[in-house]
This record gives sequence, C-alpha cells and structure tokens, in this order.
Amino acid sequence: MRGKKPYQILWLICTLALAGLATGVRLWQESTVFEGDFGLPVRGATASVAMVCVLVMAAAVLCILAARQPIVRPPRAQVRGRRWAMSFFATGDLVFLALMWFSAFSALAAVPMLFGQGRALWKAYQVALAMKTWQGGDNGVLSMVTAVLALLAFFGLLQIGRDGYHPGRRSRGGFWAALPACAGCGWLLNTYRNCAADPVLWDYVPLLLAVIAGMLMYTDWAGMSCAAARPRRTLWLAGMTVVCSWVALASSPDTGTAMLLISQSAAALAALWRLPINLQNPPKVGWEGNLDTCSIQDSEPQVEPQEPQPPLTQPEPQPRVEEDWTWSREESQAMNCTGENKEEDTHV
Amino acid sequence: MDELWQDSQPTTPSEPEGTDGLGNLNLGDLSDLTDLTETTTPPPTPTRTKKDTSLGYELYLNVRTLVFVLAALILIFTFVVRIIVVSGSSMENTLQNGDSMLVWCLGYEPKQGDIVVLTQRSYQEDSLVKRVIATEGQRVDIDYDTGTVYVDGTPLEEDYIKEAMKVPNYGEGVNHVTVPEGCIFVMGDNRNDSADSRYPSIGIIDTRSVIGRAVMVLFPFQDFTLL
Repeated sequence: MRGKKPYQILWLICTLALAGLATGVRLWQESTVFEGDFGLPVRGATASVAMVCVLVMAAAVLCILAARQPIVRPPRAQVRGRRWAMSFFATGDLVFLALMWFSAFSALAAVPMLFGQGRALWKAYQVALAMKTWQGGDNGVLSMVTAVLALLAFFGLLQIGRDGYHPGRRSRGGFWAALPACAGCGWLLNTYRNCAADPVLWDYVPLLLAVIAGMLMYTDWAGMSCAAARPRRTLWLAGMTVVCSWVALASSPDTGTAMLLISQSAAALAALWRLPINLQNPPKVGWEGNLDTCSIQDSEPQVEPQEPQPPLTQPEPQPRVEEDWTWSREESQAMNCTGENKEEDTHV
Repeated sequence: MDELWQDSQPTTPSEPEGTDGLGNLNLGDLSDLTDLTETTTPPPTPTRTKKDTSLGYELYLNVRTLVFVLAALILIFTFVVRIIVVSGSSMENTLQNGDSMLVWCLGYEPKQGDIVVLTQRSYQEDSLVKRVIATEGQRVDIDYDTGTVYVDGTPLEEDYIKEAMKVPNYGEGVNHVTVPEGCIFVMGDNRNDSADSRYPSIGIIDTRSVIGRAVMVLFPFQDFTLL
C-alpha cells in the first residue's frame, strides 16, 4: 500500500469541484432559461445543454474514479465477521463523526417543517371536504409521512456516526443506513406528488435525481453490512448524491427539503471521506482504534508508542489472532484484488 | 438483533463450516490457523443451512427491492408516461370524471385531434385535459350559429363532441384566431361545459405547457379504451 494515492482526497476534490461546477451552471440556468410569469423554459438554451453536459460529465468522472479505486481484501483472519461490515469503521475520526451527526441533525431539523407543512395541507383538505369544494390536490399526508420517516433517518444517521466512531463488538457498520433509505422512499413520493402536474421538467428533475441518488446511496451503504456489498457503486452514488443535492439546493427549495438535501449531502461526504481509506487499508480486528484518518498507511499495523490508544473493542481472546494480523507487503499486494474481487456475494 | 446478525450471515453453499458468507473465517475457529490457504479448501458437500434466510439479509433485500423499484417507477413516470385522473366533465363523453388515463410524455409533439394533458398556470395550477383543435400556423374560426369549427377554412367532422355547441356564458371569447408559432388551440369535447382556448383566461396554449398525450383509459376497467 505504500506509495498509493490517498484516494479519499481525490474523491473529495473531484466531487466538490464537480458539485461546485454543477451548482454554478444551475444558477446560470435559473437566471437565463426560464421566461415569463410562469417560468416556461427557453428551448435549446445554452445553460440547459450545459447543465446536462455537466451532470453527464460528473457521472462519467466519478465512474472512472470508482473504477480505479483500489480495493484491498485483507486475509480472512484479519477481519471480524464480514470484511465489508467494517467499511465505515472510523474510530477516532472526528471528521466522519461530525459529518454524520451534522447530517443526522439536519434531517431532524427538517421534521417540524415538513410535518407543519403537511398538517396545514391536511387541515385545508378537511375544510374543503366539509364544504364539498375539494377538487383534488395535495392533502398533506405524504408530507407528514416524510416527516416521520425523516425522524427515523435521524436515528439511523446518528447510529451510523456512533458505530463508525466507536464500533462495538457486534457493530454492523452501516446497517442503520437502511432507515434513511426508507425515508428516501417517502420523500421521493412526496416530491413526485408535488410536481406531477408541472410540465417543466427542469423545475423538479434535479431534485428527483438528488433524492434517488441519496436513496440508492443509503441502500448500498446498508448493503455493506448485509452481504450485498458494492463498494465502488457506493462511492459513485455518494459522489452523485453530493453533485445532485447541490444542484437541487441551488434551485431554492422549501426549507424542509433543503434540510434533507443538506443532510444527505453531508452523509455522502462522510462516506467519501471514510470509505476510500477503508477500502485501501481495511480495518483489522482489534485495530479499530488505530485507524489512520488522513493518510494511507502501510498495511502492517502501526503502533504509536507515545500515545498508546487502547482499542475500544478488545481483541478476540485467541492469542494467535494478533500474530495473524501481521501482513507483509507481498501479502498485501497479493491480496489487492482491484477489479477481481472474488467474494461470492460481493460486487465491487 | 446484533447477536442474530453475527450468527446468521447467509452462507454460500460452497462455504465450509466455520466461515461466513464471504468466506471469512469466524475468529473463534482461527486459533490453529497460520496458513490462510488452508482455510479456503473446498468443502466436501455443499449444504444450505437456515443461515441462508437470515432476518437481516432478508430485510435488506426487501428494502433494496423497494428502493430500486420505486426509483425506477418514478423515473419512468417522470420521463416516459404518467397516470392522470380526469377531474370534471369537460371531456365527456370521451372521458368521464374520475377516469384514470395513461399519458405519453417522452418526445411528444402535439398534433391536431390528439387529447392532451396540459397545465395553464394563468388559469389554474392543476392540469387540464383537452383536445387539440389546431396547431401552429392554422386558422381557427368558430361559428356558433351552425355549431361548426373551421380549421383553415375546412369544417371539422366532430363525432366526438357531446352535444351541439352554443355560445358560452362568457361570450364568444376567442373564436377567430391564427395559432401562433409554438402554440396550440384546444377545446373540450363537452363544448358547453368546458373552459378551453375560447376562454380568455386560458386562450392559446404554449406547447411547453403540454405534459403529454392521453393514450388510453386504464381505470375503471369497463371504460378501458385506446384514445
């Protein structure tokens, strides 16, 4: 592993650059493409073409980056349970914890806004029903459902941060990401319901893409702990989540939606921060406490004599296990199975 | 639940006892192992155990299926087709109030005679369902005395309208017009109870306001028909 590029930096730089570019183009599009009182789009406008090109380019660049992401499979003796369940272990990584908790509390902040919005619509619906003037439209139920699911997402994201920072003995890493994935389903339905009668695709397609990208990212994230790991696709989806979320944020959505977009964007950045490190230099049993957060280490376990950091999870009682962790560079190279991981239920 | 997860990983049939589904050895079985290649020797007989139906794994598969299906459906119902429910009587007898119809959106350009779904925000936020009477460049003349619509001087054969057309309560409205570029002139089949291009608040429709073309009535099943 020595000498390899720190891929998480590459991921973050590329993703943020693409997200910034896409946001800029979206702002340009917002200011030049929509005309008249009702915002009908100018056909073939340069900004719209540029927006499509930037999104396609972002997808392609992140795809190439994902394809080139080194993935090291550690010897079986060095992993606890499943190797991929440890992909988001980030003991001592305050950046990961901060991003995940920021993401969690952003989701929580969206709850009262979405619920209030839904409740107001529900009351209007009840009044219209009583007066027999209801002619269809949004009755607010989906907004309230989205608020409840966002609350569940809050707990899931909080737990992911905790599990990563302080992995317990039986921690499942990202299994809790299934909760925000479910929340994404309600959010997606609510978003679609609100735009179903809008003939201008550009009004809502960036938001739909952002919700879908986030939902799929959380699904793959949960899959890392559920025997269905697709680490490269997870990375790609995390990058696309950031790009699409920023584009959607540039369209000035309502506050509740904006908080959910910020939440999934922060979670995706946390994934991009942690996952490439753990793919290149997989956490090993009992060494969760010594994960290097900023640089790619040599595969051999490193001990810092000045500040011995006791592992938060005690090593397994077998005395020979620690010897098995010793992982020579030749072994490491042999185990580097980029592009041909043969784990049977894993698709990289 | 955690205990269940640790103990119930789905196991591929070729995995030896003491390994998890990825071929990773459980640590409890590692005490005598020094050579990893020894751990990967093929098992004598592939067997499936109850670990294959782990609750966590099954739950995850269900969530994944739900998410993928939902995402695919939303994308299809955004870019390709939509299902719209008819509200009102302006398209009777072709469409009834409450009918669910399939609307084709992908690459649609309005043509004369098509039933289209559109949104005219100057009138209302919800969508409208109307029939295209004329497209860009065509001349529309409505003669209320004979109840006839002329397009480019040719009377339309309209066997789809509900009843003979009368002068609307808001007056004759827009009844002699040449449709501008990029616009269409639409009317409901129930001419005497339809707010359409004749109504000044709606007027000529910009084709960018058109969501798509109604292709069939899906529900109720007794009304199922191609349009």
